[in-house]
Amino acid sequence: MSDNLQVLLLDDEPIVGRRLKPALAKIGCEVEVFEDPEEALARMAQQEFDVVVTDIRMDQIDGMQVLEFVRERWPRSKVIMITGYAMMSLAREAMEKGAFDFIAKPFKPDDLRKVIAKAAKALGSEIDFGAAEVDKANG
Amino acid sequence: MTSGPGAAREVNLMPLIIVSADDFSQGREIAHRVAGVLGYRYVGRDLLASVAEQHQVSQEELVQALEDPPGFLTRRSRRQRLLAFIEEGCLQQLQDDGVVCYGLAGHLYVRGIAHALKVRIITEVGQWAQAIAESEGVPLERAQKVVERRKEEQKRWSQDAYNLDQSDPSLYDMVLSLDTLEPDKAVEIICDTAGYRKFQAMTYSRKLMQDKALASRVRVELMKSFPDIKVEANDGTVVAYLQSLKKDQRKKQEAVRQLAGGIEGVRHVEVHVIRDYFGQAAQSSR
Amino acid sequence: MAEGPARPGGAPPPPGDELSEEAAAIEGRLGLARDAEQARRALLARPRFSLRLQIFLGNAIAFLVAVAVAVALIASSHRMESKTRFLEIVNDYVMQVEQARRFEKNFFLYGTNLSDAQDNVFQAEAILNRNAEELAAIMGADWRRQVLPNLHSYARLLEKLGQGAHRDQPVGKAERLKLQSQVRAQGQQMVSAALAVLSKEKAALSEVIARSRQLLFYSMGLLLVFMVFNAYWLGSRMLSSIGRFGQYAGRIASGDFTPVTPTRRYRDEFTELALAINSMIEELEKREAVLVQSHKMRAVGTLTAGVAHELNNPMNNITLTAHMLQEDYADLDDPERREMIDDVVAEASRAKKIISNLLDFARESGSQLEPLDLPHLLQETIALAGNQIKLSGIKIDFQSSGNLPRVHGDSQQLQQVFLNLILNAIDASHKRGSIHVLVLPADEPNYLAVKVMDEGTGIPAHILGSIFDPFFTTKEKGKGTGLGLSVSQGIVAKHGGRIMVSSQEDKGTTFTVVLPVTTIPAQLGSEKA
Repeated sequence: MSDNLQVLLLDDEPIVGRRLKPALAKIGCEVEVFEDPEEALARMAQQEFDVVVTDIRMDQIDGMQVLEFVRERWPRSKVIMITGYAMMSLAREAMEKGAFDFIAKPFKPDDLRKVIAKAAKALGSEIDFGAAEVDKANG
Repeated sequence: MTSGPGAAREVNLMPLIIVSADDFSQGREIAHRVAGVLGYRYVGRDLLASVAEQHQVSQEELVQALEDPPGFLTRRSRRQRLLAFIEEGCLQQLQDDGVVCYGLAGHLYVRGIAHALKVRIITEVGQWAQAIAESEGVPLERAQKVVERRKEEQKRWSQDAYNLDQSDPSLYDMVLSLDTLEPDKAVEIICDTAGYRKFQAMTYSRKLMQDKALASRVRVELMKSFPDIKVEANDGTVVAYLQSLKKDQRKKQEAVRQLAGGIEGVRHVEVHVIRDYFGQAAQSSR
Repeated sequence: MAEGPARPGGAPPPPGDELSEEAAAIEGRLGLARDAEQARRALLARPRFSLRLQIFLGNAIAFLVAVAVAVALIASSHRMESKTRFLEIVNDYVMQVEQARRFEKNFFLYGTNLSDAQDNVFQAEAILNRNAEELAAIMGADWRRQVLPNLHSYARLLEKLGQGAHRDQPVGKAERLKLQSQVRAQGQQMVSAALAVLSKEKAALSEVIARSRQLLFYSMGLLLVFMVFNAYWLGSRMLSSIGRFGQYAGRIASGDFTPVTPTRRYRDEFTELALAINSMIEELEKREAVLVQSHKMRAVGTLTAGVAHELNNPMNNITLTAHMLQEDYADLDDPERREMIDDVVAEASRAKKIISNLLDFARESGSQLEPLDLPHLLQETIALAGNQIKLSGIKIDFQSSGNLPRVHGDSQQLQQVFLNLILNAIDASHKRGSIHVLVLPADEPNYLAVKVMDEGTGIPAHILGSIFDPFFTTKEKGKGTGLGLSVSQGIVAKHGGRIMVSSQEDKGTTFTVVLPVTTIPAQLGSEKA
């Protein structure tokens, strides 16, 4: 495997994956996108990802269950929760269960990039934030 | 400043601790000690000096706004403005995590923030009265009455100023009674709790704090012209709610847009004219 | 869908068509001011016959009868008086005549007193002349011809006798005897004629007395019958009206706000009461409408929180897409840009749709009655509560028997009822529980039933009876107003339906709304015809 950051992105909204995959690729992440939590869990059972980005409110399997699974299977992985149903109680629950960060929808691509950069730093690898810096100037 | 915001954000662990207490001096002591043990920054009444300077008011007046119960002579709109100054100054300080905040009524306006650990320190009438009786040399019975009156006044103040009863435990994450706990133990419990992952700062709750700070900054500016304006902010978008008669609605909306548009961090301004003020208040406090 | 023009609520349904009558009744219950105005006009259109008038007329009639009886009695007593007077006159006359005859006898026996007899005859004539008017009134104008010739001939005979006596028997004995018998016969005839008149008049008098007694007796009887009848009529008028108003009060209390309509052919004081009750009903109905609306706004408030969250998904898609488009604009080829812009457009319309359901429901609209497809309405309601359902993690399952008839009603109000039941079911359910919503024909014919079943904690038996009471709530302070079920019950009652509950603790609760089926399309056809 390369020394790129391995990212798994799970959201049942297809557009999220379609947009974030290139956005994260720009800062040197290798992104696998899933819309179905079952498939994502199956994939994660096989392989460790550095960062897991997951939606919380999904049919069948809840993002919290994904979080619990990752924390147990790959304690080193950083899990970032993204949700449209952000509430204080949900945020605290996620943090307590070991989420690395919690982001409320809607967010900008840069918001996630910053968090992923932070996660990379916590994992001990620096991320080239060049692309994101350029955009900041635009915003 | 002891630590820059950038430095604090690198370490993704520290909550805000917002302490309030029945007995001011006891609470202050515990808050100080918590900050000392955890190595957090203490934000307290000292802040009032800079707030007073910034807004050209006296520090005593700010303290009065925080303490005096509503009475016949209370100028409500003046007091609400002073409180808005304090709120703005305080929220500015709370943009960094790893802060212990005390004595600035933070427990009444920092709400719904996941990484704000809110602690109430209560003292039963008996013990508090005894302390007063000893320190001021008054009979115990009189001291008891003083304490009871003070508790009642505090409650009335919070209801009048923030429409909340600060003795309601549901406002807090933790209520510690100094009747059953030694102050040392209280400090220890607070420090332990601050280490829980539950109260860690995160992007979501930090953003809410930024929004709150922006809203309060805009509100302070707008209050000069519109004393009972309410402001919400979301990511640079500011929504102002104001009461208006229909005829000068347009004029007021335009004025608010002009005033708020010039404030740093504001990208877009929306003005909602409301008639049902109470309904609005009920909704925003949910 | 066939949508009929709003029929006037008071239009009489075609006779014999029970279902359409029912529809009209529902419509009547749902209509507002229009119905009240119609009822008011109908109430006032009848001729007025007040209780006061009935009492007055009854008394007046009794008084008139009494006056008539009194007049009759006065008239008959007057007649009796004149008869008595006549009898007295005749009596006096007879006495004089008899006296004359006694002197006549003395003259025959002793040759004395003849002048006395003549005197008496004069007296008798004087009596007759003195009372000429009374006699004329009773015996007719020719009374003189009946009475006086006898008297005069008697007087002449007496005179003849007198002349004979003075000339010392100038006439023969035979002649004298002849004269004597003549005098006697004449006197006899005179007396018997007078006595005959006397007895005839006595009989007439007693007949008059008997008749006036009868008159009195019968008229009292008649008056008694009249007064009993009048009192009974008056009483039953009042009692039946009071009974009816009792029924109205019960009906209004149960939430049926149909205005009181005329049931009798005339109007009276109770009409005033009916009008007052109608205006009270109108006021109650207005208040209820306010209550229903404010409760609806609470439901909207609950839904708004869910919608706000749900909106975050399309908002996020738009935000991400727009930012990436901005960032990579130069590097993207046309189809890619096109796709991203299409995404933005699609997500924007998705956001709009999320809000529009809620806005449609929240919009304040007048009562609009239409034939409703209940399964469709329930699906819409479930969609409306969709975010709450999603938030709570509860599964909702909807089933409907196929081909159900429509019900006639206000879609917004019924939706409010079902929404309330579904939101309650969500609150009562355990996490990951499920809610079943069923539409099926009810047990009784011509009714549909909607069942909302949860598998939650159930309602304890001892409070089951009070859950429909206003302000009754089991939710914690500030969470529920306790008006939801009360308002729902009011709405369902107005639609001619019922709402029922059954619950088993720890097993779940079932609310059943039963609504009458209507055959409105047929009704429309018959109206066009």
